[in-house]
Formats: sequence, structure tokens, C-alpha cells
Amino acid sequence: MQTKENILLNIKDLHVWYRVYGGYLKVLNGVHLMVRGSERVALVGETGCGKTTTMKSILQVLPPGDFQIPRGQIFYKGQDVLKMSFKEIQRLRSREIAMIFQDPTTALNPVFTIGTQIGDVIKYSAVFKDEENVHHERIKTLSIKALKDVSLPDPERMLINYSFQLSGGMKQRVCIAMAICSPRNLLIADEPGTSLDVTIQDQIMRLLNGFVEKRKTSIILITHSLGVAKEMTDRTYVMYAGTIVETAPTEVLFKNPVHPYTKGLIASIPKISGGGIAKGIPGKLPSYLDPPSGCRFQPRCEQESPICSEKPPQLFEIEKDHLVACYLTQR
Amino acid sequence: MKQATNNEILKIEKLKKYFHIGKDKKGPIYVRAVDGVDLNIKYGETLGLVGESGSGKSTVAFTIVGMYRPTSGQILFKGKNISLEASKRPLSSKKEIQIVFQDPGSSLNPRQAINQILALPLRIHAQMLKRQLREKMIELLEKMELSPDYLYKSPSSIGGGEKQMVAIARALASNPSLVLLDEPTSALDVSVQAKIINKLIDLQKELHLTYLFITHDLSLMRNVANRIAIMYLGKICEMAEAVTFFEKPLHPYTQMLISSVPVITEEEKNLKPKKIISIGEIPSPVNIPLGCSFHQRCSYKMSICSKVDPEIIKVSPGHIVRCHLFAKLENKKQERSD
Amino acid sequence: MRNSNQPNNSIDISLVRPKSIFWLYLGKKWYKFSRNKLSIVGLVLVVGIIISAIFAPWITPYPEHAGSFVDFENSGQLPSLQHLCGTDNIGRDIFSRIIFAFRGALLMVSVVLSLAVPLGVFLGLIAGYFQNTRIDIVIMRITDIFLSVPSLILALAVASVLEPSLMNAMIAISVMWWPRYTRVAYGMTCSLVNEYFVIAADLMGASKFHILFREILPNCLSPVFTKMALDVGWVILVGASLSFVGLGEQAPIPALGQMVSDGAGYIPNLWWMAIFPALAIVLTILGFNLMGDGIRDMLETGMG
Repeated sequence: MQTKENILLNIKDLHVWYRVYGGYLKVLNGVHLMVRGSERVALVGETGCGKTTTMKSILQVLPPGDFQIPRGQIFYKGQDVLKMSFKEIQRLRSREIAMIFQDPTTALNPVFTIGTQIGDVIKYSAVFKDEENVHHERIKTLSIKALKDVSLPDPERMLINYSFQLSGGMKQRVCIAMAICSPRNLLIADEPGTSLDVTIQDQIMRLLNGFVEKRKTSIILITHSLGVAKEMTDRTYVMYAGTIVETAPTEVLFKNPVHPYTKGLIASIPKISGGGIAKGIPGKLPSYLDPPSGCRFQPRCEQESPICSEKPPQLFEIEKDHLVACYLTQR
Repeated sequence: MKQATNNEILKIEKLKKYFHIGKDKKGPIYVRAVDGVDLNIKYGETLGLVGESGSGKSTVAFTIVGMYRPTSGQILFKGKNISLEASKRPLSSKKEIQIVFQDPGSSLNPRQAINQILALPLRIHAQMLKRQLREKMIELLEKMELSPDYLYKSPSSIGGGEKQMVAIARALASNPSLVLLDEPTSALDVSVQAKIINKLIDLQKELHLTYLFITHDLSLMRNVANRIAIMYLGKICEMAEAVTFFEKPLHPYTQMLISSVPVITEEEKNLKPKKIISIGEIPSPVNIPLGCSFHQRCSYKMSICSKVDPEIIKVSPGHIVRCHLFAKLENKKQERSD
Repeated sequence: MRNSNQPNNSIDISLVRPKSIFWLYLGKKWYKFSRNKLSIVGLVLVVGIIISAIFAPWITPYPEHAGSFVDFENSGQLPSLQHLCGTDNIGRDIFSRIIFAFRGALLMVSVVLSLAVPLGVFLGLIAGYFQNTRIDIVIMRITDIFLSVPSLILALAVASVLEPSLMNAMIAISVMWWPRYTRVAYGMTCSLVNEYFVIAADLMGASKFHILFREILPNCLSPVFTKMALDVGWVILVGASLSFVGLGEQAPIPALGQMVSDGAGYIPNLWWMAIFPALAIVLTILGFNLMGDGIRDMLETGMG
């Protein structure tokens, strides 16, 4: 990787294990991810591959007591999140990083008004700006501005609405408003359009894109839709079974996918130009309780070589800024 | 009353399903989920029914399979009128029409093992002895490429894609002729989706099945369906052969849908209509606007659109649209033939 | 101590034989139960009580004291090594009597729950399945009537009409107990009736019997079992309340509430006569409650 300057988030060799009956689920097996300032990054992978676990580790919201991080570091602006004190993590969550969840219905509290919820976010992010008590008039002004920014009609009335009175698209806009109401450096959007209709998803995606461009925020977009990744991001990371298998600038990745998993994934997508449906990738995700000792994709891979089952491949730069974790491409 | 022709397995005429949800000053309030739908499906074809939330596509399927009784209109299956709730239908129609639901997690009983789940349709429709039951279940599982040890697993210990395979196996257990698929892969990842869709296509050829495939995923429809119908707020806006749809989409809503699909290749990008951007929220089926139900979001709105509900217009054989823009075409055609 | 949002492949079982799956299932259930250490404490208490009750004649130091026995010489003894909980006013060893009293208590619990739970759950299932019909209204209104009468008063009323005996006390408590289960089963059934797997079974042509007992009932069992575990404590308490006023097991057979009542008159001199039976009640209820938490954790579905 070239440009060492302006690196906002740098996850290095992250391993996360969950405690279950029968041992440990070794979910993440060496995740490497880097986000620079003002960069739009997509994290693509199927359900169960560890995307949400990775994001939860950044914000330290993994369930307490049930998990272990045997190895790895998460550097945010040079500081290791895993070694931060509670106060520093609080600051991280309220000032630096914001998360937008997949299902807006469960992300909003149905017993509080929208105004209360956005007001809370503003209040807590301001507290850490050394402004002890933010005047509630100012909170109201900021809330209305945030709602206007996400193109919600009649923001004044929206403040007294409850979440169940809103449609899915509106709820997701409220969640985005909560994420951008105070300036952040990094947004993490976990499949923000998945539970919405396709026309509404289109609007939401364009809205997010607009923000990121205007405010120069970085964004990690988690998705299992490659189409969304292609249209909205600069760089894509492809994840499989807890490891990053390929990463490249988005244009490059789609023009020249190298890893067998990436190729299989792209081929499985039906095209509106026709052509039928490809066969998909045979097999399924490996068991995390007893994962393969070598490359985790090896049981499903069509090609093979003896070293594939011995130890997991590391990310290797095959061309400028394009890294792949596969022994067969390292020749 | 038109009769179904011989090669149509299912014919729906002027189907309406309203749900009564209360009253106000003007009278009872209804959710007009399905508001006058005409459809026909030929033997062996796959008809795609596309729409977003509130379009009524799932309600159409649920009414066909018998979950709801139609408010008005009729459903003809193999020529016979079955416009009743499932409890009043003969057992033979329950055997012939099966449905696969969207969320595999809730369509399989989490407290049952798979052998119990598959045994139910076999016992009711095939009346088998216990020994034959086990063999038949293993055969069904093998058709879905699942190993026999799945028999004793419970749905909570298998993945979403496999659960959906079990749901499909259950639907096929009674040897149906028509299978309704309500967004069978919407909750699944694209690689799992590819596997399941391929399996469905193979099974269709092998068992001579007819599919009514409901989804909101247009790119999937393009590759799976023979004909596609688009629904908006309870009515069909456009219906045509799959290829025609993407080469020449006529209805503004169709164009809006296609332009919202995220695509990967240049080829697909060129296929998308250029300037249609989706605007506005989808109105609720309780408050359907007067006139054309789509006019508030339409970029081609004319003055007549907010007053009069458009009729169905046959633009070319097999291609119908419900839109005032094409009424002129129809009038011109009539003028020429006079 | 909640379960996290983990990927759902915990164990890959490529075994066909149902037996091995059975043991695996048990192992997983035990793991979930034992996550909370207090549940294990509860389990130990409960198992201890049950075993001591079953083997009472053989493990108690003075089994004959649980019958007609008088020994005024040894009456009023402080707790000592020979008499762990002391002796009462007519010389009977309190510890042995407590253990024998457990028998009555556990018998009462078993009978009451065996009568009340099936009846209550059955009525709740039927009412929930036929929601908004006459059957529903009749069943649920009767349930409401029973629940509106203060339960202890109802039990007292029934028990005092019948002759005082253990059997009649059990009948009385069962009468007041079943409506609680009807409520639980009714609520679960109402929500389950709209689940897709129930609808699918109906569309398949399944009989109402099948839907009620093979589809809906298994999904109602989790809250029912949890409630049963917690109810044990309540039944024992109600039973003790009844025997406290003399409406249960009659003398000389020991019953915990009756022992507390007898001992209450001798406070503060023979304080151990009342305190130890009361402690026994507390420990029993505590044990079942803690175990009940574990049962609830154990019955959670989701992680397979």
C-alpha cells in the first residue's frame, strides 16, 4: 500500500473468537482493512462472513464476556482502539465514528419521539466538545437542520412524530440524520438499503453519497450487493469466512477480479441484459468451530494446490493497489 | 364470464382483495391491497410478478393459494373456479397449488425436525406407510442436494439457503403443478440465490412445474421469467415478455424501477433509462390517490392523470400498459382502422 | 449474559442416527443452562430436596419422629449435633420432620401442576386458536373470573368447604392455578396463529388437531415450563399458607406451614421451632426460582 498519509482507520490482523458450546467460534481470522480520509470503502461478503463482527469490534460493542480477541490491532488515527480506556471509546463513539444500522425499525426506539432521539445524539456529542450544557433551543435548531439535510419533509412536525408513524425510507433517513447531525470522520453503514424497496434504496444511497462527497467524510459501506458497491465506492474489500480475500479500487476489482471467490460472486449476479443465472459457488461457509487450517475458501475452490490446506494465505500485492490472498495467484 | 383456454393453468379475472381496517365519517376504510387484477399463466411457464411494498403482489399469491377469500373477482385453476378460502377448497386443489414463503426462518417450525416438516404433506396427500415415508423424504432431500442426515436437524441449526431448500422440498412433496414463490431468495445472499434459482429452474423442467415468481429484483426476473407483470398499489401497470420489458419499457413506473437497479457492467448501464430518478415516497394502500395511482411520482404527468384512472391498453401482442400516455396510440390505431 | 449475534453454524453434525443427535442436544442444553452459575446452585438445591424427600425414611436420623411420637424428656432441645434443628415442644426432631414435610410439599406440587398445567394450557390453546369466536369469549371470561378472585382466598374457600386434608388442599390449589396457564398459552397461541409455519400447515391441509398440538403447542412450551419451575415456589408457599391455618396435611404428619404455625407460639423461647421450617420454605422457593432462570436460558431457540 502506497499512500501512508491520511490513514484514518487501520485494522491489522484482527482475530475475534466467540465462546460457544463445544469451544470457540473463530470468526475473524486475520482481517486487514484500511480506510483513508474522505475515502468510500465497501465491505462485501455473504451473511455470516464476519462483516458485522468487524464493525462491532471497531466500536467495541461486541457482547461482553462472550468473545476474545487473541490477536490484532485496530488503529484509529494512530491509536489502538482495543487498548483505549472507556472514556476514550466514549469519545470515539460520540464524536468520531457513527454507525447506521441495517433495520431502521429496530434502530429507533418506538417509545420516544424522533426529536428526543436526535436531541440525545446532539447532546452527547456536544458534551465531549467541552460545552457542558447545550441549550435546548440550540439542540432543536440542530435537529431541524439535520432533518432538512436528509430531505425529510416538514422537519418541525417530524420532531414530535414517533418512529412507527414513518415509512421505512423515512426511518432510514432519520437514522442517517442521527449519524450526520454532528460532524464525524467516519460513517459505518451496515447494509442501509437492504430492508427497503429498490426505488427508496436508490434515493437513500444517493443521499448518503451526497453527504460523503460534500463533507469529505469517510464511509465504510457494508453490503452483500455488488451493484451498490460498484456505484457508490472508491475501494472494495471482499470478505470470506472472516478473512479479506481481495481488495482493490472498485473499478479495478470489477474489471479484473482475481480471487476465485470474487470471480464466483460476480458471476452469480443476474444481469438485466440477460444471460441466465450462473451456477453459483458450490458448498457453503466453513464451520467456525473447526475451521480449515489453511485457506478458508479451499474446500469450495475449484483449483487447488497442496499449500492451500497448510496455512492461510496472506494478502499479496499482484498489481498496484490490488491485493489478493491466494497462493495460486502469487506466481 | 370468459372461460380459461386449454393451455392456461391459472386465470385470474378482476381480482380484488380489500381489507377492512376501520371506519371514519365517510364510511368504512379499506386497504385496497389488490384492486382489479387480470392475469393468466400458461402451463410450464414462469410468470414474474414484480412490485414494491404495498403493491399487492404477495396478496395476489396469498389469495390464489387460499389464505384469503377474494373480495370479488374469480380464480380459475385448470378451468375450475377456486375463488374460496383454503378451508373450503377440495383437498385436490391444495395438493396441486403450493407456496414457498419469503422468510425461511418463519415458514419452518423451529420446534420440529425436518423429517416432521416433510412428513406432513406426504401423510396428507400421499398417504404413505411409515417405512415408505422415510425413503420418500430422503429422495426429496436428494433432489435438493441435501444429504439424508438433514432429516434429523432442526431449522435453527441450518443456514438460510438450506432452510429455503427444505421449504421448496416441502412444497414439492405433494407433487404440485403450480408453485407460487413469494420472494424466495430476497433474504439470501447472491451466491446462495444463484444455487437456489438454478435448482428451481432444473426442477421446473424435470417435474413440469409452472411458477408464479414474485420478487422486487428486476435483474433476477430478467433471467428467470418468461413474462413479467409489474404491480403498483394493487393494479398491474405493465405486462410483457421479459426481453421486451428491458428493451422497451413503456410505463413510467417501470422505467423508474429499472433505473433504480444497481448494476455492474457497462452493457447494463446502457440499458438503463437515462434521466429517470426515483422521487417521492410510496403512498400507502389506504390512501390511494385519485386518478392514476402513480401520478404523484410521475415525471410525465398530464392533467388527465390526476382525474381519471387509466384503462389497460394493448400496445402490441402480449404487451399491455395502463397509462394515459398510450391512450393516444390506441386512439390513433382505432382512427386508422375506421 | 445474553447470547451474542453469532453466525449460526455452531456444530456441524454429519451423523444420521437420532441417538447421537439426542446427546448432542442435551449437551447444548446443559451448556446454556450452566452459563449462569446461580442456576447450578438452584439445581443443586432442588436435587438435594428431591432426593432427601424420596429417601427420607432412610436418610433422616429420626424417621419415627415424623409420625406419632412423644418424648417430653428431650423436648425443647437447642440445635445440636444430635438434633440439627433442635427438637420441638413434644420432643420430635425438627430436622427429620422438615425432610418428611418436603414429601408432602413435593407431592402437592406434582399433583397441582399435573392437574392445572394441562388443563390450563389446553384451554388457552383452544381459546387462542378460535380467537374472537364464542369459544374464545367463554373460556377467557371464565379465566378472568377466576383470576379476579384473590387466589389465596379462593383456595381457602374451597379448602374449608371440603374436609381438611392434603388431597383437598391440592384440589383447592389446582382450582385456582389453571387460569394462569390459560393466559400464557392464550397469548402465545394468538401470536403463533399468524406465523407462516402455522399458515403453511393449514394450507397443506393439516387437521386442526395437528395444527394445535404439533405446530402450536411445541412453541408454547418454553414459557410454560419456565413458569412451572417458578410456580413450584408459589405452590409450596400457598400450600404452606393453607397448612399454616390448618387446612392441609393433618397432624401428626408434618407440613412446613403447620410447623411454622406450631412454632410461632413458642417464640422467643423455642425460636428454632419456627425459624428452621421457615428457612426450609425459603430455600426451597429460592432453589426452584434459580433453577427456573436456568430453564428459561436453556429453552431459548435461535442458536441451534
